[in-house]
Amino acid sequence: MADDLFIEMEAAQYTKTGQGACGDDVRFMTVEKENRHLVALSDGLGSGVKANVLATMTTSMAIKFLESNVPMLEAVEIIMDSLPVCEVRKIGYATFSLFDFRLGGKARISEMGNPGYIHLRGTEEVAPLKDEQIVSSHWPDREVRKCEADFRSGDRIILCSDGVTQSGLGVRKDMKFGWRRSGVLSFAREKIAADPDISARDLSEAIARKALYLTPDGCKDDISCVVCYLRHPRVMRILTGPPFYKEHDAEYARQATLGFDHVVICGGTTANIMERELGVKVKVKLSDMRTSGGLPPVGTMEGVGIATEGILTLGRVLTALEQMRPADREPAAARAILERMMRHDRIEFVIGTKVNESHQDPNVPQDLELRRSVVKRIAAALEKNYRKKVTVNYY
Amino acid sequence: MDKIKVEICCGTACYLLGAANLMSIEDEIPAEFRDKVEVEARTCLELCEKENLGGAPYVRFNGEEIMAQATNEKVLARIEELVGGAA
Repeated sequence: MADDLFIEMEAAQYTKTGQGACGDDVRFMTVEKENRHLVALSDGLGSGVKANVLATMTTSMAIKFLESNVPMLEAVEIIMDSLPVCEVRKIGYATFSLFDFRLGGKARISEMGNPGYIHLRGTEEVAPLKDEQIVSSHWPDREVRKCEADFRSGDRIILCSDGVTQSGLGVRKDMKFGWRRSGVLSFAREKIAADPDISARDLSEAIARKALYLTPDGCKDDISCVVCYLRHPRVMRILTGPPFYKEHDAEYARQATLGFDHVVICGGTTANIMERELGVKVKVKLSDMRTSGGLPPVGTMEGVGIATEGILTLGRVLTALEQMRPADREPAAARAILERMMRHDRIEFVIGTKVNESHQDPNVPQDLELRRSVVKRIAAALEKNYRKKVTVNYY
Repeated sequence: MDKIKVEICCGTACYLLGAANLMSIEDEIPAEFRDKVEVEARTCLELCEKENLGGAPYVRFNGEEIMAQATNEKVLARIEELVGGAA
């Protein structure tokens, strides 16, 4: 059923060595009420800030046009007419690849100037259902390719900028014309063969990293790789706070049985409830106590999940998500939660609503917000900044 | 002889009121006592919600004796007493 499916869309990028801004731009959009998911990838002419401006203009316009179903030819003409003309090359130019998918329907891909998209079902490449070229009368030298693809559960679509397909060009003797689309294709197939469930995040990162690796003396062109992966959602559950009524403890604890890699117990009292109800002890390694870096350490409950402190840890998670900071700069407990969030598609919060009175002690040197409001903001940041599905249940 | 068990509460209130500093207590235990003491971090000892215990942060010795407003000095001194008493 389409309702059970989730589309994971992730991008990995590297900027050309020596440039302050990436000359490629990637933009995602979810049109909630239509269950529609859009991606725009553009490579601006040249590199650095100027290219970034061209690329960003292109993706911003393109994604808006896609959203409002403007015919492709008209959209392309408007985009081309609006781009500033390069002083050096006397053309206004940015390439693009657009992906438009409605859950339960077909995927539409349009591209101009970018390497051709790759559609994989397992390790097999899938040909488009429809494939046509359209040409604008304003811009006769710009050909737009319009495809329709049968995008099914388990399929992946890969879009990249030419920084990926041309990596290695002129550097590697065995790659006279660079890595090429065929190189990316066989690399992606190898990766999928080795790990059939590889996430879009990991696959896009692997491809971009490999492209970077092929140009050992610095990145020669901006590298961008987008992977869209349609699959059943990976669900994780975060349990935080004791239930309002003690009688609900047992039922609440049963929510934590989803498998070790998918559960976070967030809060000391919550962990105690789990210990009591599930008969599993929280273990904290001493080495983790020393290196917990500004938050109480992470513990593990065998067979259940990880256990962290509650509101301080959630607070750090919230800041990182709102500011889109990488997890590896966070203290251990926040990092553990953030990394798990990134590996999952749907994040289910189960919140006990009992207020911890000791947090309201005026001697506590920090304002402690209520769990519910922190979780509400975490949910908003996950949905807006990371395109996750979030549900919240109260106990 | 059983090891002396020292449990440090890592609940929010305790952590904010000083338990953060207790995380390094293992390193401060004199070398000759180290094999006689076992330090553990606990998710929450649920003592902060009880009144009249003296206030966070709490440390528990041997599963029963509670120390309120624990500091590294106080905990180290008590470890020394307990080890001395047991020897």
